[in-house]
Amino acid sequence: MNFETQSIGNVLVVTLLDRRLDASVSAQFKADIQAMIAQGTHNILLDFAQVDFIDSSFLGALVSLLKALHGKGELAVCSLNNNIHSMFKLTRMDKIFTIGADQSNALQQMC
Amino acid sequence: MKAMILAAGKGTRARPLTTILPKPMIPLIRKPIMESIVEHLREYGFNQLMVNTSYLSADIENYFRDGHAWGVEMGYSYEGVMEGNTFVDNVLGSAGGMKHIQNFSGFFDDTFVVVCGDALIDVDFDQVLAFHRARKSVATLIMRPVPADQVSKYGIVVTDDQGRVSKFQEKPKAEEALSNNANTGIYVFEPEIFNYIPDGVEYDIGSQLFPKLAELGVPFYGIALPFQWVDIGSLQDFWHVNRMILNRELPDYPMPGIQVAPQIWCGLNVKADFANLDIEGPVYIGSSTEIQPGVTIRGPAIIGAGCLLEQGAVVDQSFVADYTRVGGIAQLYQQMIFAGKVISPDGTAIDLSDAGLNWLIDDKRRTDIITAEKSLFKELLTKDTLQ
Repeated sequence: MNFETQSIGNVLVVTLLDRRLDASVSAQFKADIQAMIAQGTHNILLDFAQVDFIDSSFLGALVSLLKALHGKGELAVCSLNNNIHSMFKLTRMDKIFTIGADQSNALQQMC
Repeated sequence: MKAMILAAGKGTRARPLTTILPKPMIPLIRKPIMESIVEHLREYGFNQLMVNTSYLSADIENYFRDGHAWGVEMGYSYEGVMEGNTFVDNVLGSAGGMKHIQNFSGFFDDTFVVVCGDALIDVDFDQVLAFHRARKSVATLIMRPVPADQVSKYGIVVTDDQGRVSKFQEKPKAEEALSNNANTGIYVFEPEIFNYIPDGVEYDIGSQLFPKLAELGVPFYGIALPFQWVDIGSLQDFWHVNRMILNRELPDYPMPGIQVAPQIWCGLNVKADFANLDIEGPVYIGSSTEIQPGVTIRGPAIIGAGCLLEQGAVVDQSFVADYTRVGGIAQLYQQMIFAGKVISPDGTAIDLSDAGLNWLIDDKRRTDIITAEKSLFKELLTKDTLQ
């Protein structure tokens, strides 16, 4: 599970580097981000620009992370390709997560 | 009279629909395209139809069989072999397929028509035959005017004032096109045409046979008619044409089922309390489908047979294949569920199995797959806020 992090304002931007985010990486990803949340990071933007494919287990990991925030912060996503955006819409996660066309668009929505 | 339906193609531009169906069997509100063609041919007195098949030939041959249900005689010319138990398709091309049948039994013994098996046509064949006979033509092609800005999608045909074909332009740019008459893939031939088709090679009518006739100075003709020509070449065509039919923009295309309410047609044995469902048509609902309370449907939409739409599901301008269970969390907006995939009109497709989404959308006949995700998602959505 590869990613890079960068702080922009009070938001931690996590750029995901794996092309395929599925059951093989979901558990580790969830654990990694949960650790950050436990350490006080409450506003997280996940950048999917490098990602081609996610499956339901990864989406489930995102949902778990959102719950872990207990409403104390925000978990947003950006740069979704067509298929990944479709998955969010299909599962209604587009109503739950802030979705930005790119990082700046997402950051604007997060304030 | 005799006719041939070309049904041997692979339909690669219509993928992923054609991964499991040959193009002539693609349904327009449940009815295979080719069925409308058979009916139209019969209406004009073509009651002996030979069909060349190859890709997924059994789907076509098992559906139409001898053609008796449509009041015609039908026969098939399969292009390919079997290796062990596997079909190995080996197509001969449109002209090659014709020649193969002619060499086999001399079937075509008089004027005959050839049509592609993947377009809806309501051309007046009486007019076409009258023109063909008046010109004493060995071959007549039927053209249809298309808008000038769309000529680049078609094979454009140039004729003189007698209708004799002088030139073909394959998908020309608008400024280079010499006419706006497109070749519709509907032809009339005399048996003499077989003198110009070589044996044993793949040979195509439009790109090989006609240029050969032109080269040899053999006159052949084109007639332009403004008929309804609905070509289902691609996924986008499938999407648009089904919507057009539902919106009654093709008013002669019969809606199947029984109309139970304005804009709602149903097959038999549908379990749905329409008085308490949020449904806006036009929508067709297949037989034995169950729609639970709390489902939202917005037309134009097609729900297949044997489906289950679970409480909360939203089906908005979407097509759902037979036997699909759509879970309550699902929100479909302009999607097609087909062959285990959720397909957008632009062609992007999510494979439900690969994406692990079977808990949300699956074959209804499979036992419910309860996964952690289902309860997780549901919990998040049924909370009003996340606090």
